[in-house]
Amino acid sequence: MRTGIAHRHKALFMTIGAVALVLIGAGAGAVILLSGAYSTAATKQHFGITYRILEQGLRFSVARYADKIVVPDLDRVANVKVGYACYRQYCQQCHGAPGVARDPLGRGQLPSPSSLSESARDWPEAHLFYVTAKGVRMSGMPAWEFRISTDGLWSTVAYLKAMPFLTKEEHRKLDTSATAESCPAPTTAPSYSRETTQVMFRQYACDNCHIIGGMVGPKTHIGPSLEKWRERRYIAGVLPNTHDNLVRWIVAPQEISAHTMMPDLDVIEPHAQHMARYLMTMDE
Amino acid sequence: MESSHSASVLHPASDSGAALIDQLGTALYVGGAIIFVVVMALAIYGVFAKARAINARGWILGGGLAFPIVTLTVLLMYSLAVGNGLNAIGSSNALQLFLECFGIGDARERTPADGLLRVHVVGKQWWWEVRYEQPGRQEVILANEIRMPTDRAVELVLSTTDVIHSFWAPSLAGKVDMIPGRTTRLRLQTSEEGTFRALCAEYCGGQHALMALYVVTQETTDFDAWLASQARPANEPTDPFLKTGYDAFFRGECHECHTIRGTPAEGTSGPDLTHVGSRKSLAAGTLNNHIGTMAGWIAGAQDVKPGNKMPSSLAYSGVELRALSAWLGSLE
Amino acid sequence: MAGRMFRFIGLLLTSSWLVACIPGRDYEPRIIGGDPDQGREALARYECGVCHVIPGVPDAIGKTGPALDNYSRRSYVAGKFPNEPEVLVRWIADAPAMAPQTAMPAIAMSDKEARDMAAYLYESD
Repeated sequence: MRTGIAHRHKALFMTIGAVALVLIGAGAGAVILLSGAYSTAATKQHFGITYRILEQGLRFSVARYADKIVVPDLDRVANVKVGYACYRQYCQQCHGAPGVARDPLGRGQLPSPSSLSESARDWPEAHLFYVTAKGVRMSGMPAWEFRISTDGLWSTVAYLKAMPFLTKEEHRKLDTSATAESCPAPTTAPSYSRETTQVMFRQYACDNCHIIGGMVGPKTHIGPSLEKWRERRYIAGVLPNTHDNLVRWIVAPQEISAHTMMPDLDVIEPHAQHMARYLMTMDE
Repeated sequence: MESSHSASVLHPASDSGAALIDQLGTALYVGGAIIFVVVMALAIYGVFAKARAINARGWILGGGLAFPIVTLTVLLMYSLAVGNGLNAIGSSNALQLFLECFGIGDARERTPADGLLRVHVVGKQWWWEVRYEQPGRQEVILANEIRMPTDRAVELVLSTTDVIHSFWAPSLAGKVDMIPGRTTRLRLQTSEEGTFRALCAEYCGGQHALMALYVVTQETTDFDAWLASQARPANEPTDPFLKTGYDAFFRGECHECHTIRGTPAEGTSGPDLTHVGSRKSLAAGTLNNHIGTMAGWIAGAQDVKPGNKMPSSLAYSGVELRALSAWLGSLE
Repeated sequence: MAGRMFRFIGLLLTSSWLVACIPGRDYEPRIIGGDPDQGREALARYECGVCHVIPGVPDAIGKTGPALDNYSRRSYVAGKFPNEPEVLVRWIADAPAMAPQTAMPAIAMSDKEARDMAAYLYESD
């Protein structure tokens, strides 16, 4: 009998203790958050342990998700010159190249963009492809799959794999021979779904100026809210709000309205089709 | 809408049917109040008076028989006369109206040939077609607005093409239903110049509450000038901006439903727009009439009055919408 | 709403010195010589609500133009011009003069009325 009661009391104390610990933890977290003590400055490095955890976490996560990627025959689909063109246009500013310094943009970030001659040696192709296509959350690394075609991405990977073994001279030659090359943009979109379209909205930074129904994002008042968009009669007060007009507008707002502050974001037409469909159907 | 427009049975326009109803109402309320007070006084007297002091036979014959017979007869004649006065076009004195009820006196129906102004009002979900009979000439068709002179009565011939509606201008006359398959009549008259709101007084579907019109009364010369201008076809636009609007009207689907006399627009399922710019309201008393509401109505008819037959147009660019609204507004 | 709650909690804790003070907005447009109450009345009288959703104005449920809530927080007037008081007043009075492609017509009104309306839009969030 007595042991039973003691047992029950023990369970009770442990529960209370656990709840108290959680509450104290949450309270401490709240104080750190609300007091502003946590510095968001890029000049303030993480603790050593945090740094190691983030670094290793990235490798584990990439390994897991990149597992599903089937590496094509790079000799067939990839072109190192094209890959270099992409690298030169989109990567070099932050990552630099053999003998080429990164731009100031790539120097002041935390986490600092890797110099890829090391990663490219160590990482398998699928991992490089995954990170290039999908980007890295909470770092400055964007997802490039909305800017670069799949073949272009594989070409970039091919270039990355080649890069660590290029002499400065060879690299200069590549640079010269690739002068006329340009990085291929995607021409098709994945089949429509709300989720992929939401990724598109983020990838074109739409949600930085617009509140978009069904999406988590900043509460912004730069452009009009796009909630309940299909009820709206006019696009930017200029075009009747039909699907086709909306596609036209998303692709080239500056051509349609002389005064609009909405920039041309180089949205490709298949992506604009999905965005328009999303906006016209999301409240159904 | 502007609230200064009278639409109250308690504020009838002078010399109107509503004024007759108001008098009848006043007579009934005041008379009823007097009778009530007298009956109560008699009841108290009956309780406290000595039985012998009361002349029972006298009270029964006088108060129970003679008084009701006389009072009710007078009231009946009065109310019959008022009732007749509300509907008949002709005399306006009570006795003559009463006699007319029994076919005595000059009960011959006046016709537009005798100078009677006859206006056909057709109730539709949810607006009013208004047609002025013009002896020997083509009718003048407009919508959602009735104008009348202050010196004579107008006979409204009421009908409907869909469900039951009811025409009610509270400050001018009583309600008269518009019944499918029948025509009903209503006499409108007032010597007062003004704008009076009328509305549909019989639930007729989702936008029943937004089915109203304005009755504008004006001096005869103004009225005649107005009617003559309404009879004229619309002017072709000369201004290039208005011409853009004109072209937009025909490029879109507007002309399928609307008529604008003097142009190729000959649709009949929507209101005649020949002089839409001269009207007080848009969408049957729903909106004030200016370029902003016109544009909003064209682009968002289904937002303003959901379920009405006019679609929200997706045919026009911003400039076209403004030009179209400006052109329609210029049709005065 | 959540933001307001955070700020409220923040305010509570600020008083106990545990919490950093978040300043309010650095720029808040205000109309000089405009009366918000009369502006609200004018917005209703001109039936701007046929095209716009305007909080606090009866029957303002239109969808032809954009909603006019949170106007003082907007970066741009009509997505076209910097949201500054005089710009908004001019836009309300005569939008086509500023952007000829716009669907918003110029409605005949006094400068005072346009000023009042702008004042209401800035005050009403």
